[in-house]
Amino acid sequence: MIEAGHFMAFLALGASLAQMVFGLKGDRRWAGMAAIAGFGVMALSFLTLVHAFAVSDFSVLLVAQNSHTLKPMLYKVAGTWGNHEGSMALWALVTLGFGAAAAALMKTGRETFEARALGVQGLLAAGAMAYLLFASSPYLRLDPAPFQGAGLNPLLQDPALSFHPPMLYLGYVGYSFVFALAAAGMMEGRIDRVWAKEARRWSLAAFVPLTFGIALGSYWAYYELGWGGWWFWDPVENASLMPWLIGAALLHSVIVTEKRENFAAWTALLAVVAFLFSIMGAFLVRSGVLTSVHAFAVDPKRGTILLFGLMAYGILALGLFAWRGPGLKGAKPWLMVSREGALMANNVVLVVAALTVLLGTLFPLMAEATGRTMSVGEPYFRLTFVPILALLLVLLPVAQNWAWGKADVKQWTRWAIAGGVLVAVFAVLGVGVWKISLGAALGIALGVWLIGGALWELKRRAVTLKRVFSVSPRVWGMTLAHIGIGLFIIGAVVETTARYETTVALAEGASGKAAGWTLTLDDVGSIEGPNWYADKAVLTAVKGGTKTVLEPMKRYYPAARMPTTETAIFKTGTGDLYAALGEQRVVDGQTRWVFRVYFNPLIDLVYAGVLLIGLGGFLSLVKVKR
Amino acid sequence: MKALMLSLVIAMMADVPLQDPAEEARAQALMRELRCVACENEPVSQSSAPIAEDMRARVREMIMEGSSDQDVRDWFESRYGEFVLFRPKGRGFGGTILWAGPFLLLVAGAAIGFLTTRRKRTDAAAIESEDA
Repeated sequence: MIEAGHFMAFLALGASLAQMVFGLKGDRRWAGMAAIAGFGVMALSFLTLVHAFAVSDFSVLLVAQNSHTLKPMLYKVAGTWGNHEGSMALWALVTLGFGAAAAALMKTGRETFEARALGVQGLLAAGAMAYLLFASSPYLRLDPAPFQGAGLNPLLQDPALSFHPPMLYLGYVGYSFVFALAAAGMMEGRIDRVWAKEARRWSLAAFVPLTFGIALGSYWAYYELGWGGWWFWDPVENASLMPWLIGAALLHSVIVTEKRENFAAWTALLAVVAFLFSIMGAFLVRSGVLTSVHAFAVDPKRGTILLFGLMAYGILALGLFAWRGPGLKGAKPWLMVSREGALMANNVVLVVAALTVLLGTLFPLMAEATGRTMSVGEPYFRLTFVPILALLLVLLPVAQNWAWGKADVKQWTRWAIAGGVLVAVFAVLGVGVWKISLGAALGIALGVWLIGGALWELKRRAVTLKRVFSVSPRVWGMTLAHIGIGLFIIGAVVETTARYETTVALAEGASGKAAGWTLTLDDVGSIEGPNWYADKAVLTAVKGGTKTVLEPMKRYYPAARMPTTETAIFKTGTGDLYAALGEQRVVDGQTRWVFRVYFNPLIDLVYAGVLLIGLGGFLSLVKVKR
Repeated sequence: MKALMLSLVIAMMADVPLQDPAEEARAQALMRELRCVACENEPVSQSSAPIAEDMRARVREMIMEGSSDQDVRDWFESRYGEFVLFRPKGRGFGGTILWAGPFLLLVAGAAIGFLTTRRKRTDAAAIESEDA
């Protein structure tokens, strides 16, 4: 079985090389067929891997190292990509998948351009396939086969985490085709309206799953790690945030290229850089330069190869850019106070934000090379990234209605008054009534400002309120995404500034107070799952007339010899009451259980906001047939 | 004084919050920016490692003794090295690059954007005619 898969992977490598050759020669038809064939055989090959995991075929080395017969089926299947080799197989599959999808869907009416885009995609796919086959093969056998596998990292045995990698890879690898389009456009010397329409579509096709992938990962971290937070500025989180920020900048600059045939070189550069950041993310995570739950195969050799690949693609693309960029036609004069200017400001801030994340993430690594061990964490990003991005968000509602060419800013006094009133109202409400800090109050005001601004813009585009539902899905997409940012900001500000966290140690039958709730520990019992056993606490939480039962667990996975926390969350309507079971401790001869209890106010807005951003991106992708 | 000593002992024993909510809030903020030295990229506020518990107790103890936030940071740095600070220091060439870098980039980006428009302002008339 797996040998057949191995063979088909070689066929896929051959097909992607053919796709590259035909494509670069300008043969759209054959490049497209090679792309579809390559994806087809690789999909079959990937299925043989999934099958080996599903039936726990421990004669396959990868399965023996990463699976276990007692795991639930979902995690057996998801285990296919829950390891280095399997995740690289998924990466290669998705690269081929984007090539095949592009071969089927691209209709620009420019044969050579499409062929070359497919050709470059073939090159990227061949690179991924070669890396898979020669540097991290998942198809190896193990003889003699063991009776039992080593199991999957228990932290990854979670529904959200089963779908987090495929989603994230759809995003990361989606930018490979955006990269291919930019390279083909530059070869042709035409980064124009037609190019931008196509590039925008594929940028959205990458941005939307990347957004959902990051959200899934963050939600997992929130309820699985038992730390109460949703973003930790961990290097691997940052690795996914950087391409997202560049991708967001690209979505805005490509509009200028589409509507005005301007900023062509800049848009092409962003299209290239988005993918380079994606591979860099893969390099950082996979190479073992950073240690985390993601770095399953710490192997410096593989890291070196990835780094080499990253540099090769970078030199190739930036070389092409240096050669063709200056000659590109789409560079027209533009004014600061115009939609072009507004979108350029958006781009400057988003790119600087991405570079800030890069600086903060890589700085400790660079410092280590000079013998200085240091850490860069949340306080750094709170004081640099947050204010820089806030600057953009303050301007967003004002600048988004600026006209192309030259904006009429006579109404700026009205915006200033509206903003001033908003700030004053929330400053008074926040400090006087809600008793929160001025910074938090201003943060909430910013969120409201964004939501109000997005709705105002929707109304402006629709001209009258009655026509709001007949505006294009694209305008709705923008509106939802901007409302999403507003909701996210409110949630993020309230959650981080007003989160309550405490630790209580309770004996069975005893009560304690946390976050205004009275918690009574009714019982701690042992339970058993398919491949774990656990201590499960039963906590009754009472506040006013509300009563709920929280059942946090501490699981132990014998196969991996590793404990995990399973938090219990009660949604109160204004936030999450969140409990994690900790250690057992003997105090004064009495056995007590330690609980970490959090109240995370408005945390749902964080996720609702991000989902709206993703949904907005999806709506923007919808084409209206006229 | 005796009460203080007693509460000190209790605070050091386990994760008992400080009496004064304002002091406790300060302590928690500090715990979030100190790195647990035995863990992987976790602040002491989150870790369940014994050393993190000791570090939390030490933060509360120092706050109760009237130390400033900076005193606490300095104490931990002298004890565990710069590694323990999630809020890196701005001293030296590296520190300046790290802290000023993002803002310098922003200024540079804005300047480049502004210069590209300024240089072509003479063509503004062309834009307007195209728009009409």
